[in-house]
Amino acid sequence: MSKKRIQFNTLVHILIGLLIFPGCQRSEPVDFNTQIKPIINEKCISCHGGVKKNAGFSFLFEKEALRNTSEGTPAIIPGNAKKSRMIQRLHETDLELRMPYEKPALSKEEIDLFTRWIDQGAQWGTHWAYISPKKSALPEVSSKFTDLEFLQTPIDYFIAARMEDSKLQPNVQASQKTLARRVAFDITGLPPRRDLFDSFVNKEITYENYLDSLLSESSFGEKWASWWLDLARYSDTKGYEADRGRTIWQYRDWVIKSLNEDLRFDQFTIEQLAGDLLPNPSYDQLLATAFHRNTMNNDEGGTSDEEYRTEAVIDRVNTTFDVFQSTTMSCVQCHDHPYDPIQQKEYYQLLSFFNNTRDEDLMDESPNLRSYSEENKQNMESVLAWILKYGDSKTHDFYHDFFQFLEPKYQAHNTVSLNSDNAYVSGVTLSLRNNGQAVYKNMNANGNENLMFKYSPTKHKTVLIFRKNSPKGEIIGSIQLNEKGNPQFNNPKNQYAKLKIKKIEEPFDLYIQAKNPSLKTKNKSSSNAIIASLHWFSFVPELPGKNQKGFAKIENALNTLLNNPENLTPIMVENKDFMKRKTHLFDRGSSLSKKEEVTAGVPNTLNPWKEEWEKNRLGLAKWLVSEENPLTSRTIVNRIWYQIFGKGLVLTLEDLGTQSEPPTHPALLDWLATDFITSKQWSLKAFIKMVLLSATYKQSSVIEKTKFAIDPQNLYYSRGPKLRLSAEEIRDQALYVSNLLSEKKYGPGVMPPQPEGIWEHAYLGNLWKESKGEDRYRRGIYTYLKRTSPYPSLISFDAGSREICLIRRSPSNTPLQALVTLNDPVFLEAAFQLASSQIEEPVDKAIQNMYRKALYKDIDPEALNLLETLFNEAYQDFDQTSEKLQNFFNQESVIDKKLASLAIIANAIMNLDEFLTHG
Amino acid sequence: MDNLKKLIRENKELEAQLNSRRHFLKECTLGLGGIALGSLLNSCNFDPRKAYDYNSARALNPMAPLAPPLSPKVKSVIYLHMVGAPSQLELFDYKPELAKLHNKPCPESLIEGKEFAFIEGVPNMLGPQATFQKSGDSGNWVSNHLPHFKNVVDKVSFLKAVHTDQFNHGPAQLLMFTGSARFGRPSLGSWITYGLGSENNNLPGFVVLTSGGTPDAGKSLWGNGFLPSIYQGVHCRSKGDPVLYLKDPKGVSRDLKRKVIQSINEINYKEYQKFKDPEILTRISQYEMAYRMQVSVPEVMNINDEPDYIQEMYGVQPGKESFANNCLLARKMVEKGVRFVQLYDWGWDSHGASESEALSKGFLNKCRDMDRPVAALLLDLKQRGLLEETLVVWGGEFGRTPMWENRAGIQNSLIGRDHQGEAFTMWMAGGGVKKGYVHGATDEIGFRGIEGRVSVHDIQATILHLLGFDHEQFTFDFQGRPFRLTDVEGRVIHEILT
Repeated sequence: MSKKRIQFNTLVHILIGLLIFPGCQRSEPVDFNTQIKPIINEKCISCHGGVKKNAGFSFLFEKEALRNTSEGTPAIIPGNAKKSRMIQRLHETDLELRMPYEKPALSKEEIDLFTRWIDQGAQWGTHWAYISPKKSALPEVSSKFTDLEFLQTPIDYFIAARMEDSKLQPNVQASQKTLARRVAFDITGLPPRRDLFDSFVNKEITYENYLDSLLSESSFGEKWASWWLDLARYSDTKGYEADRGRTIWQYRDWVIKSLNEDLRFDQFTIEQLAGDLLPNPSYDQLLATAFHRNTMNNDEGGTSDEEYRTEAVIDRVNTTFDVFQSTTMSCVQCHDHPYDPIQQKEYYQLLSFFNNTRDEDLMDESPNLRSYSEENKQNMESVLAWILKYGDSKTHDFYHDFFQFLEPKYQAHNTVSLNSDNAYVSGVTLSLRNNGQAVYKNMNANGNENLMFKYSPTKHKTVLIFRKNSPKGEIIGSIQLNEKGNPQFNNPKNQYAKLKIKKIEEPFDLYIQAKNPSLKTKNKSSSNAIIASLHWFSFVPELPGKNQKGFAKIENALNTLLNNPENLTPIMVENKDFMKRKTHLFDRGSSLSKKEEVTAGVPNTLNPWKEEWEKNRLGLAKWLVSEENPLTSRTIVNRIWYQIFGKGLVLTLEDLGTQSEPPTHPALLDWLATDFITSKQWSLKAFIKMVLLSATYKQSSVIEKTKFAIDPQNLYYSRGPKLRLSAEEIRDQALYVSNLLSEKKYGPGVMPPQPEGIWEHAYLGNLWKESKGEDRYRRGIYTYLKRTSPYPSLISFDAGSREICLIRRSPSNTPLQALVTLNDPVFLEAAFQLASSQIEEPVDKAIQNMYRKALYKDIDPEALNLLETLFNEAYQDFDQTSEKLQNFFNQESVIDKKLASLAIIANAIMNLDEFLTHG
Repeated sequence: MDNLKKLIRENKELEAQLNSRRHFLKECTLGLGGIALGSLLNSCNFDPRKAYDYNSARALNPMAPLAPPLSPKVKSVIYLHMVGAPSQLELFDYKPELAKLHNKPCPESLIEGKEFAFIEGVPNMLGPQATFQKSGDSGNWVSNHLPHFKNVVDKVSFLKAVHTDQFNHGPAQLLMFTGSARFGRPSLGSWITYGLGSENNNLPGFVVLTSGGTPDAGKSLWGNGFLPSIYQGVHCRSKGDPVLYLKDPKGVSRDLKRKVIQSINEINYKEYQKFKDPEILTRISQYEMAYRMQVSVPEVMNINDEPDYIQEMYGVQPGKESFANNCLLARKMVEKGVRFVQLYDWGWDSHGASESEALSKGFLNKCRDMDRPVAALLLDLKQRGLLEETLVVWGGEFGRTPMWENRAGIQNSLIGRDHQGEAFTMWMAGGGVKKGYVHGATDEIGFRGIEGRVSVHDIQATILHLLGFDHEQFTFDFQGRPFRLTDVEGRVIHEILT
């Protein structure tokens, strides 16, 4: 593989060389990127790189390579290869000294390259992936391709030029019917609607009209959301041991809607990474930030919340770079990047952007975005209007946020017990026995004189006493709890209490003590009783207009709001300034050994930071989608190309960097990446449409022997793509062609039938509650996804379990897949329904119709013959033993032999290679 | 039969075209050819190849058996994992000194700065809740809870000072089975089937059997991570279909199913002739494999055919999900050439917070249910001559504290111990492993390893070594760098090897 790469690189180099120095002869400048860096990466960097820097020498950065090694002199002296220790060591005859150590010597050619490179001044180069893409002119290609009508879009020029180099010719265009089905799957994940299909194959509408119709269907968003949700690691559970449920489906729906509305990809990026930091964010913009709340949450007893909060933050850094930059940042967590020029410190500078959100790995996943009923939305409006009328805008803004996501607040799990026998933290709560006391260090009331807290109602008439700065310090407030909640709230389900406290301007420590004089201390059970369980504390401003008429009603509305959110979705909320965390570098990636403090920043190798950007997630998002960023648009076009062709223009989809494969079509990649921003204006639909309009895409997928010999992997696209359908598509298609598929959209994940006992958890009683009615037939995207136990038939077809960001599903071809499509009751029901629709027809006609319904083309005579034979065999089989038709294919009633035999045929059709692939 | 001949010719041509070192299993593919279903259950004889370009060797048959790069000591592995972490202090790690400290407060020095899952404040020490005898010729310590195991103690090598840096179940299990405490890495069994393929083309190469419930970290423990998904473990269940969707639909006879698959494959073969897409040939062979699995999996999963004395020896409970059943199944599977059989037995988390997890109650039941089948498994493998070509590994994801757990600062009402990663006991038995041997030791209370400490990665390196792999060389390129099971750690535990 690497040899091929070097050869290819050499070729590229010569081409580049010719471009830059048209007059030069061979033996001229050595290029670092294409000639030197590949040798370094293959032969040197494992000992002299980002991880090991043996003898104090590393090739990773120019500065490091040129500074003194442990021998006291630099290993490379630019301009003087002879005196450079590095070159001397390559020539050593003593094997103890000769480099590479304990490995075969470099070849003459390699040593020669190094020597010339150093003599020429040892110029370091920047890897192509770190230079912003430029849009080049379309390449010139021979008229042959014009004659073949291959040059239909700019893409085709680049593809043709490369084909020409390899002496390849394109395939002819796929048949109308094949193309119509293929492109329908690529746009909507479903076979085409019959009427639309007919008008295209009957030439009533053009191919472009056909694409436009498909692109405008809402199934577009449902298809492409699968791809994005893999990257976003979306699932309906929290992961780790207990893997409890999580309600974050509104985010899934947001992705579907945004894709359908063709939200510009730069905006799509900004809202997901930092919607909460936009000015006056809308509900949807806040919801979008759930992208980074798809990280796992560890509910297991005894886990350190801070440890798993840190894990989540690390995952956010890694995922951001996996998703938008095709860069594996996780390498840099523990040490400088082994191959790419990114330093460990820069990792923690990036981490600093993500280290200041309010989430703390709590069981309740707060902060959560709260949606309200229409009635409560009215309540919210009137409370906020009241506040504006009688109070100031600061109070208004506070409550505006507070109603949406209940922040800022201090979580009780951060309290420290003062007497471990009587006070302890477990999960989200601080539990107090009689006289138990705990402290929350370094709080800031931010000028507010009300302390609000959430607690679990208790039977005991417990008194909570709050003190300032020491266990016996000044009492700043106290309150008696009762089982009905705080009387102020007048609501038996109320979990919130509020009390007036003394004004405190400076940061202070809050001491919390629970007392209940009525409990006898001698009685063991009452001394063990928990008399208060507290969840969080928040300092809130006084609700203004106390003496105005209607205040009671407003206060009541406020309480109703607090207690009655309709739905909760975990989102990102930034720490207020007085709550900011500091970020430190972790020694060898361990959060337990913190080193120097770092501030937010982006890697030097990439585009520079602009002063006008906020130094927070919003700024980071803007940096990612700025035109100068060399990786974002390349990443996105490469990933979409993969979705359509089954391979990227850079084959290593995960990695655009010094270890990646070079692009098969570098100029095309850069052309597309630039065009995506400048002329497509970040429109995913426009980009997808252009690819699907290309002659490259429209080719037939037949493999020709001679071309196969030249290009077995089809790297030069001289045939069209024929991909196996995705897990969701295989399910959806079966339901669609048998008229079972529900068109219902959005909402909580559904639970279609799955075998019993799949979902059992050793001690949590949560069960798979089979959905009823049309929810059994929803598209796969709506299937409830439990990380530790995903829907079995989807997993068989390579869907992921979404614990972490999944950049590509690697398609497999296994016997377990055959068992799904042959035997899974979902597929049996589909086959049975398809057969039922043809029961009135004569057998040959019925088979032809079923085939046409499933595959959108006519069956060829040989296949028809085979299926007719199979029909007769099945019929005979049932004739001999008619009791087989009891419960046949799980049907409740006894069915007719003909219907059963047709169902067998339908089942066979749904297992054909052509049915499982997109042609 | 014309098609058959054509298929042979096509395949040969294809192979020539590819002009690579692809290991294309001609004979076998004929058997799988969609036409020659008569060759059912006729397994193929493979020439093990010494080619380690896995990608090309695997192009057409991802499960083709390959010889490992180094000389192997064993062909297959049975891994018995006690989910929840069994207490080493009640089974193998005899600590008389701990008895003297029973119910006395734990010295501050032991717990200072330590994090525990549940212990809060200062717990009391908890003496061994078992009596111990020197057993077998080796005279190695075994507790009274394992009377049957005493008879096979001379077959195993103990590792008394295993340590892990994870003290929660999920992450610790992930570390044990994927080499990383975070999600996303391939599991041990996936690595092994990726490296060695399968000797039986009618059964999955990597089988997972569970009893008592699913382990905490779920399917990721047998996931394929970034390896192709064909290498993920196949969970064979004792209730319902042993493999999901294995059973034919109601009303469809085996004969009819054969005809269905035959028709599908014939039409697919025509498709292949048209498109020349090698994936179609793979699909044809996978449909045949599916058909054969429908027979061979229920067959291997059926323990009723075993003679009574064997059933009794294991203490099986036919029709139920039990660890004993799974042990017997494991033997049947390695006998049939399954490469890696992973058993998970849930219920060893002996905190003492409830009866089922108290050392005085639930734990004793778990011991009883585990003791007899494990001893039977070792004896049964031995009597069949399989023990020398199989590696049996026993362990948990971590160990348990010498302290009596005091959840929320109050001593649990029942006897139990908290999680402990610093030191716990595992053992290995089988080909290439010393018999009746002990490696490593803990301090006087079983809290820390004081000699022969081995890490989770060391265990993995040793398993790979016995199968013929150098764990540092056995890698897979992903995201621009080579990954390996043992990450950047791991040392083969040569001390226990013959």
